[in-house]
Amino acid sequence: MSRLNIDRRGFLKLASATGVAGVAGITGLPSPLKAASTKDQKSARFLKYDRGVLSPSFCEMCFWNCGVNVYTRNGKIHKLEGNRLNPNNKGHLCAKGNAGIQSTYDKDRIQSPLKRVGKRGEGKFKKISWDEAFELVHTKLNPLIQKYGPQTLATFMHGTGEPYIHALTKALGSPNITIPAYSQCLGSREMAWIFTFGTGVSGHETYDMANTKHMMIFGRNMAGAIQVREAEDFATGLASGAKLTYIDPRLSESCVNATDWLQINPGTDLALALGVINALIKDLLFDADFVTKYCYGFEELKKHIKQYTPQWASKKCGIDAKTIERIAWDFAKDAPNVVAIPARRMTRYGNDVQTVRAIAIINALVGNWGVPGGIWVRSSVPVKLPEYDEPKQPKTRRADGAGKGEKYPLAPVSLGRTNGIYEATLTQKPYPLKAWILYGTNPINHSSSGVNDIFKAIENLDLIIAIDTQFSDTVMYADIVLPESTYLERDDAPHVQKDKIPFIALRKAAIKPIYDTRGCFDICKGIAKKFEIDKWFENSPKKQIADLFKVLTKDQADTLSKDGVIKFENVDPYPRASGGELKFTTSTGKVQLSVPVLDDMYKKFGDDFSPIPIYKDPITLPKDSFRLLFGKTPFHSHARTQNNWVLLELQDDTPVWMHPTDAKKLGFKDGDMVNLINTQTGAKSDHSERLKVTKRIKQGSVFIHHGFGHRTKAWSRGYEKGTGDNYFISNGFDPLSGAGAFNNGFVKVVRA
Amino acid sequence: MMNIVNKKLNKNQNLAMVIIGDRCVNCNACYVACKTDWEIPAIKEAYRTKVWEIESEDNEGKPTISFLPVLCNHCENAPCVTVCPTGASFKRDEDGIVLVNPDMCIGCKACMVACPYDARYYDEEKQSVDKCTFCLPRLSVGLDPACVDTCVGESRNFGDISDPDSSVAKLLKNATSISRLKEDKGTLPNVYYITINE
Repeated sequence: MSRLNIDRRGFLKLASATGVAGVAGITGLPSPLKAASTKDQKSARFLKYDRGVLSPSFCEMCFWNCGVNVYTRNGKIHKLEGNRLNPNNKGHLCAKGNAGIQSTYDKDRIQSPLKRVGKRGEGKFKKISWDEAFELVHTKLNPLIQKYGPQTLATFMHGTGEPYIHALTKALGSPNITIPAYSQCLGSREMAWIFTFGTGVSGHETYDMANTKHMMIFGRNMAGAIQVREAEDFATGLASGAKLTYIDPRLSESCVNATDWLQINPGTDLALALGVINALIKDLLFDADFVTKYCYGFEELKKHIKQYTPQWASKKCGIDAKTIERIAWDFAKDAPNVVAIPARRMTRYGNDVQTVRAIAIINALVGNWGVPGGIWVRSSVPVKLPEYDEPKQPKTRRADGAGKGEKYPLAPVSLGRTNGIYEATLTQKPYPLKAWILYGTNPINHSSSGVNDIFKAIENLDLIIAIDTQFSDTVMYADIVLPESTYLERDDAPHVQKDKIPFIALRKAAIKPIYDTRGCFDICKGIAKKFEIDKWFENSPKKQIADLFKVLTKDQADTLSKDGVIKFENVDPYPRASGGELKFTTSTGKVQLSVPVLDDMYKKFGDDFSPIPIYKDPITLPKDSFRLLFGKTPFHSHARTQNNWVLLELQDDTPVWMHPTDAKKLGFKDGDMVNLINTQTGAKSDHSERLKVTKRIKQGSVFIHHGFGHRTKAWSRGYEKGTGDNYFISNGFDPLSGAGAFNNGFVKVVRA
Repeated sequence: MMNIVNKKLNKNQNLAMVIIGDRCVNCNACYVACKTDWEIPAIKEAYRTKVWEIESEDNEGKPTISFLPVLCNHCENAPCVTVCPTGASFKRDEDGIVLVNPDMCIGCKACMVACPYDARYYDEEKQSVDKCTFCLPRLSVGLDPACVDTCVGESRNFGDISDPDSSVAKLLKNATSISRLKEDKGTLPNVYYITINE
C-alpha cells in the first residue's frame, strides 16, 4: 500500500480551516462506517495475547525488593508485572520496576570480565576469562595485603549480593566494610528511632499511612522517592480522607493533595518538631496513659521543652506560631491514628539524629505505636530458617572512625561510614588504604564526592576491583571488572522480610545470562578460592533456596513454589489497639523520651549529644550563594537506571529550580541556561542546565534532581545527561551517627 | 453527576477508564508498562499513555501541582474515526474500543490532527499510526490493561460502565466529581476523571 507523507503542521492548518469532517469528505474513499463492518477481521490481530512463561522474582531496579512476575516468550523476557501476593507492592511496579527489561537487554552492559589496559578512566579494557580475572585479583590484591595488612582493603556494597561481599571482606581480614545506605542515606534516622523505640524504622518503613487520619511528613517524598507499597499506602490514606501536613522547602510530588504545605526554612525541622512537642505538652494534648505506662523521661522532657514554644519555633523555621499550634491540635485530635514521618535520606544538616529524635518523640506522645494509622509492629517470619556461619568482623581498627573508642563510637562497624572511607583514602590516614572492591556502588557519583576530591583519592589506590552490571563512572576507573548477571538472569538467596506481614520471596533466573556474567556469589567464591578462604562460600543461592524448602511444611513449600512468595498473616501489627502489651528493646525497656545512653556523652561532648534534643541553628548561607537541595525523581534510582532508554524518556535532565525573587535579582528568566559553582571548592559544573523559575522552591535555595551527571563514555544514552549534585553538596557529619550531612552545600548560579 | 456518563449505545459493553484523581502519584509506571508490553518505538514522542505534571498557583499565589494521566479517550464521537480516509481507524461496535488497523493505514496522519487529545503517534517501523487499544489483546485473555495492572496509586480503574455492578460503574456512582477532557469538543470520551473526597 502506498504511504502518503503529509506534514502534520500543514494538516493542522487544513483541519482548522475546513473542520475535520471536511478533511474526510474530500478523500472520496470508503466511509469509516462502512469499513467498520469488516470489524471482525480488522480486530483479529488484537484478540490474542501470549503471556508467556512465568518465573518468580523480586525487583532490583532499586533496593526495596518488590515482588515481580517475569514473563518470558521464546526465551526472551517480554514483560515484568508486580506479584499481587507480595506485600511490598501488591501487584504494582513503579516506572523503574517496569523498566528492568530494558536494563537487562542493554548492549552497553559489561559483557565479560575485563582488565584495564588504558589509563584509568579512559575506558580501555581487554577481555579476559573468569579464571584469569580471579587469578589477577589474587596477584594484585595479595601483595597489598602482605605489605599493608588486610585492612588496606575497603569494600562498598549495595544490592542482593551484599552478604557475599561482606563475608569476603571479613574473611580476607579487613574491617573496612561500607554499606552506603547507612552513612549516605538513612543511618541517622535509624539511630534516632533505635534510641527512642529500640528498633529502626527499617528500609520498609513502618508507617501505617493507608489507615491514618493525619500524616505529618518532614520531607519524606513518598511519591517522588518512590517505594511502591509506601506510595500505595500514601495514596490510599489520602484518598480515604487523611490529612497531610507536608513540611519541605520544596513543593514535591507528595504535596499534590497536602492539607498544609509548610515551606520551612532549610535545616530547621528540629525547631518545628520541638515547637509541636511544646504545644502537645503545654496544651495537654499527649496520650497520658501511653506516656505513663511506656515512656521514660517524660518529666525531663516537660522541663526541657518549655524553652521551645511555638513562638520561638516560628522565628527559627519561618512557619507562624498559630499554624504550628493548629497542626499540633489537629494531629492530637485524631490521635492515636496519626503518624509523624521523618525524611528517609536523613543525611542533611548535621543535626539529623536529633531532628529525627524529636519526630520520634511526637509519635511517642500521641501513643501511636502498634495502632492502626500509626506505627505498626513488625513480626519475623515464624519459620526456623537455615543458619550459616559467617566470618567474624575483624577486630582491627576501622579507617573511617566508626566503632568503640573512635571518633564516632556509635556508628556500627558492620555498616561503616562510606564518606569516612573516601576521606581516609584521600589522606591515607589513619593507615594506608590501597585497594577498593566496589559492588554495585559508584563512589565518583556518590554524595559529596566533589568536596572529598574523589579523583585524587582514587589516585592513591593501587587496585580498584568493580563488580557491577554496567559501566558506571567508577567502573571506568577500575583495574579489574567482574560483570554481574542482572537480577533477571540469576537465582538469589530467598528474600526474607520482617514486616507488618512477614514473608519470604523467591528469585529464580528467568533467562540464562545473555553475556559472560556471573552472580555475586560465584564471583566472590571465585576470588575466595584463590585466597583459599572458600570455606565461607559453600552455600550458593541455589543451595540456600533448597535449604529453605527443607524447613518449610509441605503446604508452605507448595505455596512458595506456586506463588513465588509466602506470607505469614497470622500476626498482630497493632498490639496496642488489640489490648496487648507492648515491648521495647531500649536499655530502659521503655520508649525513651530521654536517652540514658547519651547522658555521659552529653557531659563529655556537649549539646549535640543531649539526651533530649537541643536546637542548633543550621549553617548560614554565605553571601550571594544558594543552598543546594537535591532529591529523587520517581523515574530513576541512581547510576543503575541512568542508561535505561525508557526511563531517560521520562527524565534526562536536571533543571535548576530557583525562586522568582532570586531569579529576578540575578536577572534570570525561566529557561535561561545556567551553571553551578561550588562555593567551597570553586568547581564549576561541566554541563549547563535549564533554569526553572518556580515558587515551588524556597527563596535562597536551589534544587536539582539526584542521580544524574554521569560522564561514562561507555553509556550510549546516559552519557552527559544532567548535572551531578555530588560535586556541589557538603561533606558534613552528624556527630552522633557519623553519617553524612549533605544539605550544607552552597553554590553560585551563573549564566552559561 | 451521572448525567455526563455516556449512555449505553448499541453495544454489549461500554468499556471505560475511570481515573481517581486523588490517587495518582505521578510515577509514570503506566508509561513504561505500556511501552514495554506493546514494544512502542524508543522515542519520547511515541507513547500511548503518560502522566503530565501541571503546575499552577492558587488564589493566594501559592504554587500548586496536579497530575493528569492521559490516554486515548475511546470517544463515542471519535473524530479520528470520522476523519480516517481508509477506515483504518475504527470503533468496535461491541465494546466501543477505537483501534487502528495498520494494514489499512496510509500514514496520512489526519487522525493525529483530528484527535483533540494528542493520543496518537506514528510508528515508522509499522508504517502506521498507532494508539492505545485499551489493551484489547490483554482483555481478550482476561487481563486488565497494562497501565491499570501496574498503577501504583490504584488511580486507574477499568471496566464496563454499562454494568451497574462493575467497579467502574460504582466508582462513577459514588464519585464526588466527574469530569472528562475537552467536553466542549463533543467527543463524549470514555475516560472519566473522578474525585472521591469532598
